Amino acid sequence: MSALLEVRDVVKHYGGIAAVNRATLDVEEGSITGLIGPNGAGKTTLFHIVSGFRKPEQGTVRFGGVEISGRSPDRVARAGLVRTFQHTKALTRMSVLDNMMLAAPEQPGERLSNVFLRPRRARRRERDVEVKAREVLAVVRLERHVDEYAGTLSGGQRKLLEFGRALMAEPRMVMLDEPMAGVNPTLGHELLDRVQELRAARGMTFLLIEHDLEVVMAVSDLIHVMSNGAVIASGPPAAVRASPDVIDAYLGKYGEPAAPAAPEEAS
Amino acid sequence: MSQLLSLDFWSLVGAVSGIYAVFALGLQLQFGYTGLLNFGHVASMAIGAYTMAILVVKAHVPLWGASLAAIGAGMLFGAALSLPTLRLRADYFAITTIAIGEIVRYFALNEQSLTGGPLGTSNLGGSTQVTEYNTDWLSFQSTVQGWLHDLVGHYAGTDFAMLVIVWVIVLLCLLVLTPMTRSPWGRVLRAIREDEDAAAALGKPVAWFKLQSLAIGAGFGAMAGLLYAFEFQFFSPDDFDPLITFYAWLIVLIAGAARLWAVPIGALIFGLIFSGTRFFNFKPFTYLDAAQLAYLRLMIIGAILIALMAWRPQGLFGKREEMVLE
Amino acid sequence: MTELLQLVVNGLVTGTIYALGAAGISLVFGPLRIVNFAQGDYLTFGAFAAALVNITWGRDMVLATLFALVATAALAVAIEFVLWRPMRRRGAKTMSLFITSIGLAFILRSSILFVAGNGERSYRVDVFQSYSIGGIRISEPQLISITVALTAIAATALLLARTSFGRAIRALADSVELASVAGVDVDRMVISIWILVGMLAGLCGVLAGLVQSSFDANLGFNLLLPLFAAVIVGGVGSPYGALLGGLALGQVQELSTWSGFFGGVNPIWKPLIAFSVLVAVLLWRPQGLLGRARTL
Repeated sequence: MSALLEVRDVVKHYGGIAAVNRATLDVEEGSITGLIGPNGAGKTTLFHIVSGFRKPEQGTVRFGGVEISGRSPDRVARAGLVRTFQHTKALTRMSVLDNMMLAAPEQPGERLSNVFLRPRRARRRERDVEVKAREVLAVVRLERHVDEYAGTLSGGQRKLLEFGRALMAEPRMVMLDEPMAGVNPTLGHELLDRVQELRAARGMTFLLIEHDLEVVMAVSDLIHVMSNGAVIASGPPAAVRASPDVIDAYLGKYGEPAAPAAPEEAS
Repeated sequence: MSQLLSLDFWSLVGAVSGIYAVFALGLQLQFGYTGLLNFGHVASMAIGAYTMAILVVKAHVPLWGASLAAIGAGMLFGAALSLPTLRLRADYFAITTIAIGEIVRYFALNEQSLTGGPLGTSNLGGSTQVTEYNTDWLSFQSTVQGWLHDLVGHYAGTDFAMLVIVWVIVLLCLLVLTPMTRSPWGRVLRAIREDEDAAAALGKPVAWFKLQSLAIGAGFGAMAGLLYAFEFQFFSPDDFDPLITFYAWLIVLIAGAARLWAVPIGALIFGLIFSGTRFFNFKPFTYLDAAQLAYLRLMIIGAILIALMAWRPQGLFGKREEMVLE
Repeated sequence: MTELLQLVVNGLVTGTIYALGAAGISLVFGPLRIVNFAQGDYLTFGAFAAALVNITWGRDMVLATLFALVATAALAVAIEFVLWRPMRRRGAKTMSLFITSIGLAFILRSSILFVAGNGERSYRVDVFQSYSIGGIRISEPQLISITVALTAIAATALLLARTSFGRAIRALADSVELASVAGVDVDRMVISIWILVGMLAGLCGVLAGLVQSSFDANLGFNLLLPLFAAVIVGGVGSPYGALLGGLALGQVQELSTWSGFFGGVNPIWKPLIAFSVLVAVLLWRPQGLLGRARTL
């Protein structure tokens, strides 16, 4: 049985340094998988490669059995793999509701031919999308901000908005890049509760990058640890926590700090 | 002073404002809605005008078919313009569009056999023939003038007829663009303007939407070129100076980004400023000659641009919050 | 072979002028984040300032050029106080500043036209004196231009690389906040940058007017697009890139007419070579030759 997401030997250099150096990992369908590692380990770069924002130099990425390496980000998303961003990308001059409704898949109103020739079909889908958007906003506790500009939301609220948007896209798998960073702990735990509910209720798969190790250990079925661009350990939280390689990676050999961040991106 | 009260003069001003409104609506779609910095918009106007004139004069295509083809050619140009955007950052794209605009104008200037070169459309048939592309249009205009005559009597001169035709077209453009921009299709455009990576991460084919925006915007530009050709009955490459693109930008900035119905208002304001300076028949302006008045006009336009950016970057009708949030 | 060398020399004439102009644009963009669409008109101002001294007052070109340097630097500083600084204080961002620079360009150009009129003018130099070195012809104005420009380019490059001033400029280009935290007096630096940029622009304008047999008020604007192309080709963040981009563009433009290159491009299209190169380079390497790759 192959995993939902299979990353094999992916390599990517920036300015002569290997930001991702033969990274290999699996994410099983219906799991909550964590991706941890010190700053500069290459986690966000790997996210970019998997989601199509960067092309790998070597290696493959397969999603649902289909190779998606090098596909453009919108095609990856349409295949059912949606991601959020470390630095949130709220569409600031659009309303919170518009942000959400944008994300819905299969909108006939996005084709000009339908706008003029089948307006009723487009309008009907718009109404359904709006209902769903309001429901999801309630789930992420943003329903009171429905008509406000997304730019007025706080950092933590924007993380929730991105999460809600990702859900609107009805994905098979969601990749969350530091969903807790900058979010107040209560909201953050709410978000993780939702993650667990969605996994339980719909079998949605999650891969999350997080620096808060307590949180990741508590919520993940499986954890991958990256260091210097490679995946150095994979296993259940207890095993990873005890692994000497992992401790080394975070503390460096003989207690020295870990290697400096790759020049382009640090995560 | 008599000119100040002449209906024909104001009809001309109004018609030209309407032509600029159509032109600016195309740019509004590209920039105001999609965030694309197109500084070569005048090229679509040139392509529209020249395609029509060449088809009519050289290939003897009937006017209406040639006009449709001209709009199609404009749209093709807009689609082609999307190719550089796929890999370029916004400011690089802007410079590239200026370059492409200049290439088109240069082409018109130098390919004499095709475009008549620097002498413009009077030269389309070669130096031996005096050519007109306008004959069918003029008869259409007369027909319209006849209808108007029945309505408003002797006020209906040819300029007035043109004014009415142009503004009916402006209205039609607005009626077409309004449902487009309010639809989910329009929402994707605005998302691309805000953050195209976010739009892509949500599954929207960003390149395809940019292509549509550029193509349709250029189609409007081509239509403005047609109207320009019909209004002035003659044109040359000089008429499609990069300055024209900046006029459209001024109009869009006056109106405010993503405001549709404000664009014609912006165009009227622009038209008034432009022609209004003609009436500075009082001191100290009487000390200036015609050329100097023209330069003064440019200075005023420059000052307005700066004033807008300093005090009202959201335009007359835009929302302040939308600027602050940028 | 001689044809090729002649074209290389011609390319050097154009390229050195491009390099000077492009450096000015780049030095303003890095620290100040201004895409200065009015830069061309700074050049024109310099050319006309020299014209005032050389043509109207009948003095020699050296004096005229020095005057142009000072006058354009003064103009640049004045505009900084009257326009750029207030706009920055209002929080104007790159886009607003760009549009502002367009407005400024209109005002500058129309002011020059208003005062000096639309006619063509030529510096009072001997355009017919030319030299022939090994079969390659170069006129005296061209020779002077190359010499002066190369000296200025070298001086600028050294200034940027070796002096604390140059280091401060590069620090500002990286991050204004960090630079001021590191003790850079940002306001004074900005003035110094405008002085340097004004001098470069003035010199560039004079040399451009010198090598063209005559020029008018559109001198700078006609150069503006190739200058932007040079900056972008060289890589936007880097003044060295701008210098390199200018020189490279000048060469490519002239060499494109070489008969060995598919019969040579028709010289009429030469101005557009810069644009074609720009588009080609950007499609191949979006960050330019010396620029840094975009980040997500």
